Amino acid sequence: MKLAAFSKHYGDKPALDFPGLSLTPGQTWAVIGANGSGKSTLARCAAGLLRTDQGQPVRGPGCGCGYLPQETYPFRMRVLRNLLLNGDGPGARDRAEALLARLEIAPLAGQKAQRLSGGEAARMALARLLMRPYDLLILDEPTAAMDIRGTLLAEALVQDYRRETGCAVLWITHSLPQARRTADRVLFLCDGRVAEAGPADKLLAAPDSPALRQFLEFYTL
Amino acid sequence: MASAVRQALALVLSGDRQLLNILGVTARMSITSSLAALLIGVPLGLLLAFCRFRGRQLLVILNRTLMGLPPVVCGLLCYMLFSGVGPFRSLKLMFTVELMILAQVILITPLIVGAMESGARPTAARLRETAGGLGLGLGRTYLLLLSECRYQVFSAYLLGFSRAIAEVGAVSMVGGAIAYKTNVMTTAIMNYTNMGNFSLGLALGLILLALSLLLNLGVTLLQRGLSK
Repeated sequence: MKLAAFSKHYGDKPALDFPGLSLTPGQTWAVIGANGSGKSTLARCAAGLLRTDQGQPVRGPGCGCGYLPQETYPFRMRVLRNLLLNGDGPGARDRAEALLARLEIAPLAGQKAQRLSGGEAARMALARLLMRPYDLLILDEPTAAMDIRGTLLAEALVQDYRRETGCAVLWITHSLPQARRTADRVLFLCDGRVAEAGPADKLLAAPDSPALRQFLEFYTL
Repeated sequence: MASAVRQALALVLSGDRQLLNILGVTARMSITSSLAALLIGVPLGLLLAFCRFRGRQLLVILNRTLMGLPPVVCGLLCYMLFSGVGPFRSLKLMFTVELMILAQVILITPLIVGAMESGARPTAARLRETAGGLGLGLGRTYLLLLSECRYQVFSAYLLGFSRAIAEVGAVSMVGGAIAYKTNVMTTAIMNYTNMGNFSLGLALGLILLALSLLLNLGVTLLQRGLSK
């Protein structure tokens, strides 16, 4: 599957000039970059929730996409009902309960979602998204509000989901250790452009672009 | 003031026929018009909060302008449309409760649209993103927004009802405050005041406030029940 090339301006300000990307099923791309580099714009345009300058869809037809926004919304209902919103059929309840258990929030299934803590709500939002199979999963900093245990549980769950469904994953993160743990490949955005893209091991160990080298240097401070 | 309270109590306890009729017409007009305005205004307000389309901001501004429509102007418009020289004269609605309800709906609907639009907008943006990310359809997302904004619906209803029950300009113009037909609490208060019967006018005002208090209490309890 392929993400088409596109550009996006907010008013007169250029936000992203994206050259396109080929995604292999089962592959995880970590998208990294400084604040305002265009990561969330890429996610929202690829998810089809933000119109590109060209007005054309970024994904090809028939490519089902699941997207977890940075600021997710817990619907005013019980946690389990939140999950069932995104799943139907006879196995939906079992799947929902299994997902909650994997993220260690099964005891909260009967609780009102708006009363969850930030980290719990983030776990619930991830579980809700993973109720259905998608061809492409776009996660915009899904673990930003989670503690380290929640983060590791979420990473393991997404990896299992990827293996189970064969979907491609675009994982936006500010954590280089997370990028190393989860991604096969890394896409580095700088000032609204793809500055470098390639295998995670190579890119994070020996980057070619000065911009990425400088970006990685901050993590050694 | 104390004598007005005593008079109000005595009026209510006496079961005065005219008072009961005024109460009945007031309740019919206020409840019907606020419910009708709610049915029109809630979907429109949510659409304005939810949808992104060219001209949306213009519609918001237009609605905010209509929120300030003076009741007497609304009454005058209805009068011109439905009186003996108006295009809708054949409907024979002048000086009926039905026309009073219509005038109230014209006045209240923009208030409800405005309340829903501003109340639902922060929720709508986050909900649209989350529901869109899950791949839920537009119709389902819109229904979810309606469900998420149920508390705003109650508040919008109270706003509309309060306006309907307290309004006097439009209803007196199109209703004529005819005893046992179109006389409502506010027009009756005005009539008693014009006749110099201030304490009876004040007594009716207290009954009006008590009715509003009862409705507010009821809706608040309903809201609480729903949030449990």
